[in-house]
Amino acid sequence: MILDAHTLSKLHGVKLRARAVMEGVLSGLHKSPHQGQSVEFAEHKEYAPGDEIRHIDWKAYGKFDKYYVKRFEHETNLRAVMLIDGSASMGYRSDPAGMTKLEVAATLAGALSYLLVRQQDAAGLAVVAGDRIGEIPPRAAAGHLNLLLDELERLEPHGTTRLFDAADLLAEKLSRRSLVIVLSDLFDDRADALKRLLQLRQRKHDVAVFHLLDPAELTFPFDDPTMFLSMEDDRRIEVNPREIKQSYLEEFGAFLDEVKRTCAAADVEYERVLTDQPLDQVLLRFLGRRQGGRG
Amino acid sequence: MTFAQPLFLLGALAALIPLLVHLFDRRRPRPLPFGAIAFVLRSQRRTASRLKLRRLLLYALRTLILLAIPIALARPQFRRDAQAAALARGPAATSIVLDASLSMRYDTGQGTLFEKGRELARAALRDLRAEEPANVVVCAPNAQPPGAPLFDRGRLRSIIDDAKPTFQPADLNRCLELAARSLEESPLAAKRIVLISDFTQNAFHLEAPAPTVKGPNGEPLRPEVILRDAAGGQKALPNRAIVDLRIEPALQAGPRTFQFTVTARNFSDEAMNDVEASLRLGDQTVSKGFLELPAHGTAQKVLTWRFEDGGTFRGAVALSGDGLREDDVRPFVLQVPKEIRALVVNGAPSSVRYRDEAFFVDAALSSQGSPVRESMRDAAAAFREDFGQYDLLYLLNVAAPPPDVAAKLVAFVENGGGLFISMGDHVEPEAWNQALGAILPRPLRLVKTAAVPGEEEAAAHAAKLGQIDLGHPIFSPFTGQAGEGLVSARFYKYMLLEANGEKGQGAQILATFDDGAPAFALARRGKGRVVLFTSTVDRDWSDLAIRTSFLPLIQRTSSFLTGSLEEREEMRVRVGGTVTLRPEGNQQPAEIRAPSGEAVTHKANEDGTITTGPALEPGVYEVRDGRGQAIASLTFAAVLDPAESDLTRIQMDALESWFGEATVKHGDGANGDEPRVPLWTWLIAAAAAAFFFEGVLLRK
Repeated sequence: MILDAHTLSKLHGVKLRARAVMEGVLSGLHKSPHQGQSVEFAEHKEYAPGDEIRHIDWKAYGKFDKYYVKRFEHETNLRAVMLIDGSASMGYRSDPAGMTKLEVAATLAGALSYLLVRQQDAAGLAVVAGDRIGEIPPRAAAGHLNLLLDELERLEPHGTTRLFDAADLLAEKLSRRSLVIVLSDLFDDRADALKRLLQLRQRKHDVAVFHLLDPAELTFPFDDPTMFLSMEDDRRIEVNPREIKQSYLEEFGAFLDEVKRTCAAADVEYERVLTDQPLDQVLLRFLGRRQGGRG
Repeated sequence: MTFAQPLFLLGALAALIPLLVHLFDRRRPRPLPFGAIAFVLRSQRRTASRLKLRRLLLYALRTLILLAIPIALARPQFRRDAQAAALARGPAATSIVLDASLSMRYDTGQGTLFEKGRELARAALRDLRAEEPANVVVCAPNAQPPGAPLFDRGRLRSIIDDAKPTFQPADLNRCLELAARSLEESPLAAKRIVLISDFTQNAFHLEAPAPTVKGPNGEPLRPEVILRDAAGGQKALPNRAIVDLRIEPALQAGPRTFQFTVTARNFSDEAMNDVEASLRLGDQTVSKGFLELPAHGTAQKVLTWRFEDGGTFRGAVALSGDGLREDDVRPFVLQVPKEIRALVVNGAPSSVRYRDEAFFVDAALSSQGSPVRESMRDAAAAFREDFGQYDLLYLLNVAAPPPDVAAKLVAFVENGGGLFISMGDHVEPEAWNQALGAILPRPLRLVKTAAVPGEEEAAAHAAKLGQIDLGHPIFSPFTGQAGEGLVSARFYKYMLLEANGEKGQGAQILATFDDGAPAFALARRGKGRVVLFTSTVDRDWSDLAIRTSFLPLIQRTSSFLTGSLEEREEMRVRVGGTVTLRPEGNQQPAEIRAPSGEAVTHKANEDGTITTGPALEPGVYEVRDGRGQAIASLTFAAVLDPAESDLTRIQMDALESWFGEATVKHGDGANGDEPRVPLWTWLIAAAAAAFFFEGVLLRK
């Protein structure tokens, strides 16, 4: 089943949409993404009858002449944080019947959350919108999914794009190796914001960028004289779109090239997502690449 | 400027539309919140200046389109100031004076000035208002009064169309006077003269009064004068011309060799280098040379050509052409003498060559370049000869011939033969006077001895030549130092002649001794000529024979006696002049044809000569007899007046003052030039081009 954007936009709420997308994805996968368990050392405990003998730490016995048993914390396969750009520009939609970039971001994040939690991976969320940065730390508990979905449901676009600050926050908060999934239009006035974000990769985090764009932003299909209003501040300009179309397309093309080049240089996975694209296909392509490329 | 359809000009208000649209188009643009506004702002900044220029260009092009179309529909026309003034003054009787002088043949590269002048005349005719009568004076040398101004535009137009430039100067003063007189025949109060000319200085005589017309009360009034310059206001019309051509025999280069001395003048302010001068005979160029012509200066070039045979030759000398080609060519007709057959009668032969009476004459006649083929006989043998086979007889110290020979000699001379007689011890005056008195220039009297050769101070007492007629063709070369060999000759004895008697009438003394006694006497007898030299041609009575002047003197005398010396002079007449032809023998001219083939009027005179002309065009004129056969010896050339080659332009200030400044208007070249393509066509083309470029700009 392919879920086109129009069909998806008719589903009310992120939960429904995310679930629909997830089911589309699952039916498209050929085998389970579940990759087996791994365990991680938590603490030592003095041996007591009934403990698993195979868990006795013989090296500790050598040192202390006492029996200690290793205790292990049962861990998920993965810790993933979805960083959603909740700025006002993400609220743009050229087609009134379609979805905004933020709705697409929320749907993708929700679907990814379903998938992660279903395979006992931990999923977290960070939303940057203006001055506010909301964060839900990653957990693998089933109940955690509802929390994430509720948060996604409540997203409203506002404020300016502040990817730079989000990058700082994540760098500070993510102590363990994680997958950071950025969902943004990357319209940040700070030229080095994206680079800062991609520096997470240097901290051994896995980073993937979903670059969300409205088709109108890509093709600039306007004809009549228009007063363009900024969605994040009070900038405005009256132009004849036909007169500047060529120049706009050149500027925007250069921006896209720059983003793509920067991601490639930082070994970051880049996925351009148009709001009228079938999202299950987007995710399938993404997951397929990860299965093949990163295992 | 005026408009044929002025109402269309209201449409020009449409040109305000782009401005009004700009000012009042306050449509509110659709507001649109847009995520990628940063890119819109950046694009706008990048293209702002280009867009501003583009908008300005679009505005200008649209205004041009909306302005050009209604103006084109209104059919704009340029009008001269004079016309505007005329409209204010009321109708005027108009006389159009069109200069048809030679200088109007000047070709500027875009046609001749006359063609331009004719266009201006047509334009002047078109510009007349319907109620203005007019006439046309084509200002040729023989311009006739044009008659009263009339309204028949077709007739006036055909006069202009039929007008042709002449080859002569035109007297514009006279033509203006004719125009002024003709205007008096019109009842209209206002009078106007339109003068179309190249305004060369030579065409006007500003010292004469300017033309006037009679006013209502008989008082002289100056007519309005409109000057239209066919030369389009050019400061100068550079021109060069052949102003003279001298054709002379170059005996030193051989018989029948002539030198053509071309004199060319540069009438312009700049020097002309490497001007080619060429000699053409028939259609063939036989000799070439180059001239360096300084500004306002002259230069000469000598071209030499040897004719293989005698006869009549027609040809031309030409310079490489300029604007006025007519004066760069000088036609000529040249009679090249045939070989002269001469019989030398030696009255005192000697076995010692240098003592022979004919020794020095023989040497002179047989020298290189001599036109004479001589036969020498002693008197007895010579008198048995048939004189008819000779052109010229030399009687050198010959005793008086018997009566039958004398009669033969008289007949020979009267039929055109040439006779040279020199004196000596064998000449008895009485016998000679009796035998040949009919043809002698003057009767012989007696021998005078000035000194005896060999005696002391003989040279001092010897006679010298006194008066010499240097204007005569025989003596014309002996001017200046060249005459030294003549005046230094000593004469010990010479024959005195009787004073002019009845028989001596018509004799011409060409040179005398210092005592006044004739040395050379010339007489024309019948069709022939006789030259009497009163001393000897050997060294018995004089030392002339050993002087440097002897050889050319004998050769020129030979040529003169056979009539070939004068005939070598170029036969020519100025264009506009008449020529008198002298038919010889049984020549009976019946018609004369101009170079263009047109017949030229001619009239027979009582003395047998024929007056023909005027010769209206330059070139060679052919004379034919009743059977249509050309009479070569009467062919003549007509040449241009070099004064008309001076194309120096008159000072317009001076001309205006002459006419009266208040009455002069300029119909200058700009106004006189009716554009070949009407103005409205250019406007439509401009609108179309603007429309095209607007489309191009909009597509960008």
